[in-house]
Amino acid sequence: MGAKMPGNSPAPYRFFPGFTWPTFGGWVAAIALLAVVPLFVKKPSLLHMWIMVFLAVAQGSAWNVIGGYAGQYSVGHAAYFGIGAYTTMMLLELHQIAPWWGLGLAILNAVILSVVIGAITFRLRGPYFVLASIAVAEILRLAVLHWKDFTKGAEGILLSGIPPLKLTETFSIEFIGKKPFFYASLALAVIVVAANWIVQNTKLGYYFQAIREDQDAAHSLGISPTLHKSIALAISAGFTAWAGALYGLYVKFIDPNLVIGLEVSVGMVLICIIGGIGTILGPVIGAFVLTLLSETLRNPKWLVQVGMFDSESPIIAFIQQRLSNTHVLFYGILVVIVILFAPDGILGLFRNAVARLRKRLQRGAASAEGEA
Amino acid sequence: MAAILEIQHVSKFFGGLAANSDVSFEVELGQILGLIGPNGAGKTTLFNCITGYYPPSKGEVVFKGVRINGLQPDQVCRLGMARTWQKVRPLAKMTVLDNVMVGALLRTHSLRVAREVALEQLRIVKLEAKAEFLAGGLPIGERKKLEVARVLATKPELLLLDEVMGGLNPAESDEIIELILDLKKLGLTQVVIEHDMKAIMRLSDRIVVLNSGEKLAEGLPKEIVTNKDVVTAYLGEGADA
Repeated sequence: MGAKMPGNSPAPYRFFPGFTWPTFGGWVAAIALLAVVPLFVKKPSLLHMWIMVFLAVAQGSAWNVIGGYAGQYSVGHAAYFGIGAYTTMMLLELHQIAPWWGLGLAILNAVILSVVIGAITFRLRGPYFVLASIAVAEILRLAVLHWKDFTKGAEGILLSGIPPLKLTETFSIEFIGKKPFFYASLALAVIVVAANWIVQNTKLGYYFQAIREDQDAAHSLGISPTLHKSIALAISAGFTAWAGALYGLYVKFIDPNLVIGLEVSVGMVLICIIGGIGTILGPVIGAFVLTLLSETLRNPKWLVQVGMFDSESPIIAFIQQRLSNTHVLFYGILVVIVILFAPDGILGLFRNAVARLRKRLQRGAASAEGEA
Repeated sequence: MAAILEIQHVSKFFGGLAANSDVSFEVELGQILGLIGPNGAGKTTLFNCITGYYPPSKGEVVFKGVRINGLQPDQVCRLGMARTWQKVRPLAKMTVLDNVMVGALLRTHSLRVAREVALEQLRIVKLEAKAEFLAGGLPIGERKKLEVARVLATKPELLLLDEVMGGLNPAESDEIIELILDLKKLGLTQVVIEHDMKAIMRLSDRIVVLNSGEKLAEGLPKEIVTNKDVVTAYLGEGADA
């Protein structure tokens, strides 16, 4: 549906309301640029940054389907992230089943779980739904933590290796080093963002947004809120599980707090709130901002590697000594700033600025005409 | 004439309170039925019972010969009965056109078709100039029109209008009256809840009067204005008719 400037004359007809060639071309160009990044960036720590950003884009965009479009603020998406990671990792490490099958099963598990959770929690609205979603994820985390025979509990699962993906007899992909994960996570991010675009520009998106804006009105217009919220949650859960599986395979270690902790759930929500909720580009922007922030505070060495600071710089030392693991504090500050000054996120701020500029230019042109 | 909607002995209790008790009437195909009554008479509760928001505690709602109590609002709407809300419910962060498209999408999966249908409804309520505006920014008169366009887009056979003229100035009210009469000419059956007596007299083929949840009177508009019980309910005991 794109930007809507009140005061415009009705927009010209388009097959998809959101589709324009320049926008589409822009996305294709951006993806192509990202795809050649590993040709120029060789340092593992920098590739690591990109992978974390792509995974965050996938997580944020996946949450955006249920939270942004359908307006159901789930703060329990760690359940789906965790089930994705645990299904894949347990099958691979404990039962020697290749992750390609594990991934499929992970997504299936998450979708089934989402239908069950949805049936229970979608009776609730607003803050009650939020609390219920947190509770469900915590139940799952505690179950995984204490069911040691099945999940190895707090010990976690350490991956010893990933078998190569044999596409043909002669061609296979080895999952060694960062590069394969770079492309796998980029592909996932692109797929989830594309899914957001499809949702926004089909009947499904209209129905999700109608429920978000006013559930009773939507109900009276022939929309089944329970059915459509469940569809939104299933889409969201499936992609979240995919991201969880890829995260596990990449990091090669998972434990209950790492993949089912509250921080995972909150992170997904923050990506959207900070970037711009219910938009396609918002979660992408939010993912970049939050990942760069948290990774920098965790390990600022990359700033040295890209040449922004030299290794002796006092700023690097300060971050390392004083600010390590303070990313949650900065998230908090960022959220307060965004809620106070940019309720539609960074993207909303940007769009408003463009709209204001355009108006000023139009007024300038009009007054120039008036004088002449 | 055939009845499109039959309300048979419908009661609705909230705890011990009877919001509707034993209400029965029929709506004839192609006619406008006015539903009036003092505040708290149970008009909106009756709408909610008919459209599936509350299940009736007792009684039957029969639409096009099918018993519909127990159906969800979306199923009722799919069957061809649509309602508007006394307190308008625009989908605020969507455009006027998108609002109406949401209604139109009930009968199609294609956004292109929905868009055509939606623009047609906007033309009917004379709101097409505001198609690209955000619904949340409309003044009350236009919100009411949007509400009507949105339900029209679901292609109803029976329209339930809950105080569409509430809060409007006389000029805006006149526009809505003309609109309702135009829709009747197109063959749309309507049930209209309204407080404005002049409007209801002009619009209605028949009138049902509710008071304290019970049906007080039913008849032609000219019968209702001279009905002693109705006058008493509105003006109090001892009023001079």
